[in-house]
Amino acid sequence: MVFDELLILTLNENKKNKDWSKDALSLTTQLLSTHPDIINPEFYTIWNYRRNILINGIFPISSSEEINELLNNDLAMTTKALKVHPKVYWIWNHRRWCLEHIPESSNSSNTQEWRLSTWEKELFIVERMLDADSRNFLAWDYRRYILSSMPVRRSERAELAYTTKKIEANFSNFSAWHQRTKVLSSLWASGEVDRVSSLQKEFELVQNAMFTLPEDQSAWLYHRWLIGSGDDKSILEREIKVIQTLLDEQPDSKWCMDSMVTYKLMLLNNHLPRGTRESIDITNQCLTLLAQLEELDPMRCQRYRDIGGCKVDELSSLKPSLTR
Amino acid sequence: MTDLDGNFDVIIFGTGLVESIVAAALSKAGVKVAHLDNNPYYGGNEASLNLDELASWADSRSTSSENPETVFGYLAAQRNKFFSISRSSLIPDHSRHYSISLAPSLIPSVGPLISSLIASGVSRYGGYRLLERVGIYSSGSGLQNVPGSKEDIFRSSLSLIEKRRLMRFLVFASGEFEGSKELQGYEQTAFPEFLKSKFSLTHEMMDAIVYALAFCSSDTDSTLFALTRLRSYLRSAGRYGASPFLVGHYGGLGEIAQGFCRVSAVNGGVYILDKKAKKITTPSSTSGDKFVVQLDDIPEPLTADVLVTAPDQIFESLHLPQVQDTPSSLLARCIAIIDKPIPFPPFLSSGDGSSEGETEWASTTGDEDADEPSLVPGAPSGAHVEAPPIDTSVIIFPPSSVNGGSSTKAAQAFITGAGTLSAPQGKYVVYLSVPILDDEDPEPLIEPYLGAILSLAYASEPLFKLTYAQRVSFPPSSTTDQSSISVSPAPPPHLAEISDFASSAAETLYFRIIDILKLRSPQAWTTESSGGASEGGDVFSELKVPMWPPLESSREDEGGEE
Repeated sequence: MVFDELLILTLNENKKNKDWSKDALSLTTQLLSTHPDIINPEFYTIWNYRRNILINGIFPISSSEEINELLNNDLAMTTKALKVHPKVYWIWNHRRWCLEHIPESSNSSNTQEWRLSTWEKELFIVERMLDADSRNFLAWDYRRYILSSMPVRRSERAELAYTTKKIEANFSNFSAWHQRTKVLSSLWASGEVDRVSSLQKEFELVQNAMFTLPEDQSAWLYHRWLIGSGDDKSILEREIKVIQTLLDEQPDSKWCMDSMVTYKLMLLNNHLPRGTRESIDITNQCLTLLAQLEELDPMRCQRYRDIGGCKVDELSSLKPSLTR
Repeated sequence: MTDLDGNFDVIIFGTGLVESIVAAALSKAGVKVAHLDNNPYYGGNEASLNLDELASWADSRSTSSENPETVFGYLAAQRNKFFSISRSSLIPDHSRHYSISLAPSLIPSVGPLISSLIASGVSRYGGYRLLERVGIYSSGSGLQNVPGSKEDIFRSSLSLIEKRRLMRFLVFASGEFEGSKELQGYEQTAFPEFLKSKFSLTHEMMDAIVYALAFCSSDTDSTLFALTRLRSYLRSAGRYGASPFLVGHYGGLGEIAQGFCRVSAVNGGVYILDKKAKKITTPSSTSGDKFVVQLDDIPEPLTADVLVTAPDQIFESLHLPQVQDTPSSLLARCIAIIDKPIPFPPFLSSGDGSSEGETEWASTTGDEDADEPSLVPGAPSGAHVEAPPIDTSVIIFPPSSVNGGSSTKAAQAFITGAGTLSAPQGKYVVYLSVPILDDEDPEPLIEPYLGAILSLAYASEPLFKLTYAQRVSFPPSSTTDQSSISVSPAPPPHLAEISDFASSAAETLYFRIIDILKLRSPQAWTTESSGGASEGGDVFSELKVPMWPPLESSREDEGGEE
């Protein structure tokens, strides 16, 4: 550790003195290879310093081929680092920086080839990281960055299939479902995939997750996204029925109850005129559910009371003959 | 050879899995071991044999017209254990490319055997494959996948409610169910009864749980017993992959037994195969209070303080309890070779999973093992990539699932091919077993199951077939009162239980032998470092030496086979 402190002191001095030399570069290599991750402001500073050395000192005196090679070396260094520290932001950032600085070659077909192979390799690496931990949201975010930056884009259908694969491997994965929302939104917007039939299939997919493991939050969140603002009355009613079946089977499921309340309120607000028998019944159902939720989930009882409170007020504002 | 060469601490007869584990542990502890086997191969009743060897094995155990009195004791015991043998006369080509196990086994990823394999270093000698699929057969719906995990259930074709109920049961079964309200009063009830009353499971799901997840062979196993076993499997899932079970290469247990023998040899154990013990003398004052073993064709006798033997390896004259006297049950068994894989139905996935050429893009790289990515240019062409055939699987036939099969017992099929280096590319070894009664002939009882397997594989007939009956003796609860002779228990040929049973039995036997040796020569042991037992805070009590000393960081021997 004493050695490293000396090293840091040296580096800080060099940085102040704008030392952009190769020696300075190798000092940063030394430090970063052994401690790429340490949560110490000094260290992302060292990454910054390294980038400055490259840009100001090394690149100006190197050929395109040499620059390409230097960047590939740095990528290799961060790959090694990521295997040990997969969730450190500044390692991922350095990768982005490397990719963005792939030089134009004097030979234009070279450029094309460098770019292609580098980006494909990036995708390969991020997929390995996601195989190791499919819930690493930094990796998912990086994946989106790669997919949007690649010179030859992969199809969105392919990406949809990738999320399917990850969800089938383990559906308790917020990031995979989240990615799916992004891809589907795009596919629906472009018309490449028919929204109505796709939505139907998505409901079926997520119901499998909900029924298999009702305590899994990620599935419920996806379901919520599918429902959206609840504009489609028949879908809303259908899904409420499905969740009711699950609730009957698993009466202690907090998520079932919570979702029922949310969707019934949507039904009320979007589709049912106030003061009708039906709307009063549904309001009362919600109140019952909210009371159960208060007991089941006392940590959030204020939230349930809050939701319920508005409804109680509404009910009492209606003509007495209609409220029981 | 000097006098010392023939003098050992322990002589072990039989290189089956139990004895081999004991030999390795003893040698590592510094005990001088001579390890013998009548057979010219390692593994005893758990051996891995090529096809020619299997044929000889079968032929020598088929009763002939020999005068029974002249039949050598081991062979007589073997003929009592394996009988009603019949086999195809023709042996397929490439016999040496087959590794067929006399005791096919699934090794739970968490359990005594895997722990012994890792702690002893034997795991480094061989390869293992994860079991790929478990299927269940019914005459109505044919072959169905058995969901054993959250992911399996998610992808399966069960109804939503069925998924909920099955998952709820699996969560219960993997947890601390002892003393739970669901189990109250049902501990000794038959397992299916418990499932029906407490978890509202359909008949199909109950069959899957009882026979294909808990590996019961009948519907009479008690709930507590079956649940405990099921839990150990559920807790093995996920360690190396989705399946709880590993399958060893080259016939599994035979190769593993050989690995333990190798560890023993490296640590000083002496190996003598293919020799019979002509005479064994019990300790007396003239022999220096040691056993004296005279082998055929070896002039120098071997001496030892302690003998260990597999039940059928040595003489009745030592007054060991006869295997014939202990209660036993029977299994009908079949080993067959087919040249087609068995297609399993795909796990369904809703939505876009397998339609319109999207599967090929599920990952950018086709080969998951590649270090380098393959360049993937352009858009999908719509070509549909087929999944490779399943190589290593289990298929369960519940009672009354096959015409002509048992109506009270479940049959188990275990299929494996080149993926476990058990057969050449394109060929598969099928192992079948079903419990039968004493007076039943195995062949007609096992035939319907083989027929079902053949029709599933769209194969007309097997390339090779061997059927026999195997007597399963319930092991004696403790060894003889002659404390210096130990009989190793024969591990029961239960697909998922044999491996851990063998390892636990070996551990018990090992500590027993250590105790006997310590009693006989206490001075030799007081200065022994306790084989690496660490001070304070470790699992073992002060008096108990851990069975496996810590592995050295460098490999103990070079040129490991892979």
